[in-house]
Amino acid sequence: MSFLSAPFVLFLGVAVAAFEVSPARFRPMVLLSASYVFYASNSPSSALLLLGVTLVVHRAALAIERSRTERGKLRLVGAAVAALTLLLAGFKLASALGPWFGPGRNRMPEGVALRVLVPLGLSYYIFKLIGYLLDVYWENLPAERSVVAVALYASFFPQIVSGPIQRAGTFFDQLGRTIEPQPASVEAGARRILFGLVKKIAVADRLAIVVDSIHAKPGAYSSLELLLGAYLFALQLYADFSGLTDIAIGLGQLFGFKGPENFELPFFSRNLQEYWRRWHMSLTSWLGDYLFTPLRMALRDLGRLGLALAIIVNMVAIGLWHGMAWTYAAFGLLHGIFMVVSVLTLKRRDAFFGRHPLLSRVRRIAAPIVTFHLVALALVVFRANSLGHALEYLAHLIPAAGAGIPLTRLDPRLLSFKPGLLLGVLVLAAIIEFVNWAMRQPNWSQRFLAAPRAFRWALYYGIIFMVLTIGNSGQQKFIYAQF
Amino acid sequence: MTNAEVHEKLTGVFRSVFDDPELTIGETTTAKDVRGWDSIAHVSLIVAVEKAFRVRFTTKEVQALANVGDFIRLIERRLK
Repeated sequence: MSFLSAPFVLFLGVAVAAFEVSPARFRPMVLLSASYVFYASNSPSSALLLLGVTLVVHRAALAIERSRTERGKLRLVGAAVAALTLLLAGFKLASALGPWFGPGRNRMPEGVALRVLVPLGLSYYIFKLIGYLLDVYWENLPAERSVVAVALYASFFPQIVSGPIQRAGTFFDQLGRTIEPQPASVEAGARRILFGLVKKIAVADRLAIVVDSIHAKPGAYSSLELLLGAYLFALQLYADFSGLTDIAIGLGQLFGFKGPENFELPFFSRNLQEYWRRWHMSLTSWLGDYLFTPLRMALRDLGRLGLALAIIVNMVAIGLWHGMAWTYAAFGLLHGIFMVVSVLTLKRRDAFFGRHPLLSRVRRIAAPIVTFHLVALALVVFRANSLGHALEYLAHLIPAAGAGIPLTRLDPRLLSFKPGLLLGVLVLAAIIEFVNWAMRQPNWSQRFLAAPRAFRWALYYGIIFMVLTIGNSGQQKFIYAQF
Repeated sequence: MTNAEVHEKLTGVFRSVFDDPELTIGETTTAKDVRGWDSIAHVSLIVAVEKAFRVRFTTKEVQALANVGDFIRLIERRLK
């Protein structure tokens, strides 16, 4: 059941009602039941796997805490983390190799298709649970006694499809103060869900039509069209994923939980380090704490080489976390190389621009533009249907390579868009980004909340009306719900 | 080495790692308070501290640090 489906709306209504009428001490159990109903409705066998993994992790955390010797603790945490990692990698690999064993490839007898599907949300809940175990091992967190708490942490339905990847500590803290959602939190949650819907339906799904047609056959487009396609995919992915995150955070707020943010105006970053601190933040900060830092510590005697290796492994892990595909590996590697160059030259660049104040002013404007282009370039590889398509796309991006097609052609019919509509979507995307900014300014949100109730509700209804009317009935899936 | 000496020497390391000759640190200073203290700079800082004090930390010790106060206490423990 997708967040955008009618059954989900019904399910949510029942879950909220059941939650509200239950006494506080039963609320974690109510939420846990709702989360399993949501998850099992997608695939009952995946729910069994989730339950099994949860029970093992619950016991493992207690055992790590109880173990007397450092060696014993290390052995336990090592075994548990390795098992979880293998489970995740195994599913991702089997799913990537699945088509190889299909009947079309003649590797298996006719009619026997081995199709492995990665269980919904596996990448998210495995990362949450690995983080939890390492926090217990590092003594940042006591092992949670209650199996209901651990199970709810892993399965919490607003976050299981696509994050954000909340840390165990902040989740258990909030669960401990269970759980009396204030009316303000519920209203804020509803507002946030609405905002996410607008991003998804009015921006992401509209841009998807253009991007999909370009990526289906990149060789058939002019350099200018491909450049536009690269920009539009960056915007599409941002609108899609940040919209999904808004919905996830908003759903959590309906039950009094505040999840972590995932985006902080990433396209205004001045360099790639900053970009990765402001894009999919719950994943990158997770990897920073649980992969990059331990790895960098282990390699610290290698100096700059160790730093470069740790960065590249970390970025390739970000890529492969999306799936075992060459495009994701190449995306990660590309970012790894960009990042190593950026990190190793940053001090020298800062010093250079420090000596040239005039150039420094140019840099202030140019840096976010350059960073955005590096990001959009890598996203071409990320989005491409295959590595071959990606290379074809990048080759045709360079003017002169596109033989026969005028380089600056911009044909709306080929791109399947109406110029007026596309312009409207881009204006809307700019307004949304302004709202993203304004939400972070305390005086702005207060001013909005202090506005007359009639004005606010007229705005909400206007937005709901807009979502319903322009909502593409052949709705697209959320991109990040597949990872 | 007294607590004040550790604090002073540590301040020097921070200033050189973060390229800020006026940087001051206190017990409750965290990564959020220092410009440039991200996960990449973090281990560079640890390595610089290890060199300056001639000590060695484990990953587990480093991961348990919540603020500069924790860091000072860890260094003192290691110097004993």
